[in-house]
Amino acid sequence: MFGRQMIRWIILLAATGIFLAVIANPVWWETAMRFFFPEETIVIHPRASLLVLVGEHIQLVAISSGITIIVGIPLGIWVTRPSGQDFLPIVTDITSFGQTFPPVAVLALAVPALGFGLVPTVVALFLYGLLPVVRNTIAGLRAVPESLLDIAYGLGMSRWQTLFRVELPLSVQVILAGVRISVIINIGTAMIGSVIGAGGLGSPIIAGMALTNTALIMEGAIPAAVLAILTDQFLSNIESSFTYTPGKV
Amino acid sequence: MIRLEQITKRYGDTLAVDQLSLEINEGEVCVLIGPSGCGKTTTLRMINRLIEPTAGQIFINGQDTSRIKVEKLRLSMGYAIQSVGLFPHMTVGENISVVPHLLHWEKDRIAARVIELLKLVGLKAEEYTGKYPGQLSGGEAQRIGVARALAVDPPILLMDEPFGAVDPLTRQRLQSQLVRIQQEIKKTIIMVTHDLDEAIRMADRIAIMESGRLVQYDTPEAILSAPINRFVRNFIGADRALKRISRISIQKYIRPAEFININTSPNQVMAEAKKYRWLWVIDDNRQLIGWVDRDSLPGAASIEEVMNREEAGEISLMDNATLRDALSQMLGLGFKYIPVIDDANQIIGELALEDIEEAMAGEEG
Repeated sequence: MFGRQMIRWIILLAATGIFLAVIANPVWWETAMRFFFPEETIVIHPRASLLVLVGEHIQLVAISSGITIIVGIPLGIWVTRPSGQDFLPIVTDITSFGQTFPPVAVLALAVPALGFGLVPTVVALFLYGLLPVVRNTIAGLRAVPESLLDIAYGLGMSRWQTLFRVELPLSVQVILAGVRISVIINIGTAMIGSVIGAGGLGSPIIAGMALTNTALIMEGAIPAAVLAILTDQFLSNIESSFTYTPGKV
Repeated sequence: MIRLEQITKRYGDTLAVDQLSLEINEGEVCVLIGPSGCGKTTTLRMINRLIEPTAGQIFINGQDTSRIKVEKLRLSMGYAIQSVGLFPHMTVGENISVVPHLLHWEKDRIAARVIELLKLVGLKAEEYTGKYPGQLSGGEAQRIGVARALAVDPPILLMDEPFGAVDPLTRQRLQSQLVRIQQEIKKTIIMVTHDLDEAIRMADRIAIMESGRLVQYDTPEAILSAPINRFVRNFIGADRALKRISRISIQKYIRPAEFININTSPNQVMAEAKKYRWLWVIDDNRQLIGWVDRDSLPGAASIEEVMNREEAGEISLMDNATLRDALSQMLGLGFKYIPVIDDANQIIGELALEDIEEAMAGEEG
């Protein structure tokens, strides 16, 4: 078990290293693009280097997902406690609504209030990514068998002790799966940030679409896809490090 | 001592427990029993306040439990439930040390206690400490559940069908193990079950409940010999005589047996042992090795020649057996008498069918 886990981390580390090397060397990228798209005169986004674009993108995702996690998990915990139970339907409704509401529409509504740039984008991404985190937190906590809660309280654990020693350890995998889905969605959705000047990998795509330049679109799309895959692997590695020998309860 | 005073629990319009009063003596095993929905589990859970009574009070050593902080109250009692309730993300060792951790015991003390408890429930510490509940059999998991309940040596133990989830054979083994442990640790145990045989085997006192009320509260012997009403009579069943003698040790009924050494001459036996037709045969170590029909002795050269050789265990009883074991053994063998042996297979006496009949008749009256 330990060996397999280690191998997965090593592969991920190697892949990340290659990815960083490629985006840090604009010459390599440019050469490759010129080979695939010989007819284009511009193959690299002129505003910023690929490294900067990826950095901006990661920053957008990190901030918005960070807030999503910080808000989403406690929210999910709260509505499964006796004190917050009454709010469970409202919270699930609102978070579902947040996801059905298109992020572009959120942007359109947020710009008048918050202006251009990072802040409205983060708000849109936060709302959009909240549902998977909240939903999985609720689902994970609810899946903890009643008998285990009974025995936890019966042995003398307080509500907090039961939450941290029994409920969260048993639902951590489900919660992390929700976080992973949310972050991956955010990596894709963060593209729209560049519409209102938040930068990121959306910038070359928008420029590419304006100029009908496939090379520029690729400059946004490929790194974003690789970023999503690497992040997914990273988070699922963390997730599986929480497995215990499964069995009957 | 635990005293329940006029305890009532109401859910909406239904009375789960109705003005129940009960006194449980220190060091006794009290078994709550009754049909489903009679309120036995509710009663148990009110003792550690997993359920708060609608009315009434519960006192432990004179102290009103509703005035004790609920976590403190629960930490002072062991708790084990039917579905075992081992935490699947913790090892056996971690499961057992849950309560010691809550009480901030030192590491070394916890480790030592885990080993001690595993030994007490008959599991090898080095083999089991690191296992996860998913790797245990049902019986092993149940024993860990009991060990966890005993972790900080609480004076009171609450058990809700602790052996409900295992097969009958394992259940019986676990029951006798708990009886043995109880002789050692002398806890006040309150146990819920729906299995009457379990109650009879384990209980010092049985509390029979019906629709939230206490119907009869007495020793198993008293309940079996004098059920208070038709409900109890039906509940304990038509075979209550058999159930009752399963509580009675054969000790009191052992009578001196006639046995002969295998090297005695048949003629001498004919002269001396006139009382019985069948005689137990022993060797020079006084160990039971078979039996002989007196009628076959005349003309025989030696006992050896005419005796029936048997495994001692198959035709005899150990001295710790119950009258029910004795009866079943006799019926199985077709014997009216059966020898009783000790640990060393040495014969110490015999048991007669007529004595068992008498014991059964005695309690019927």
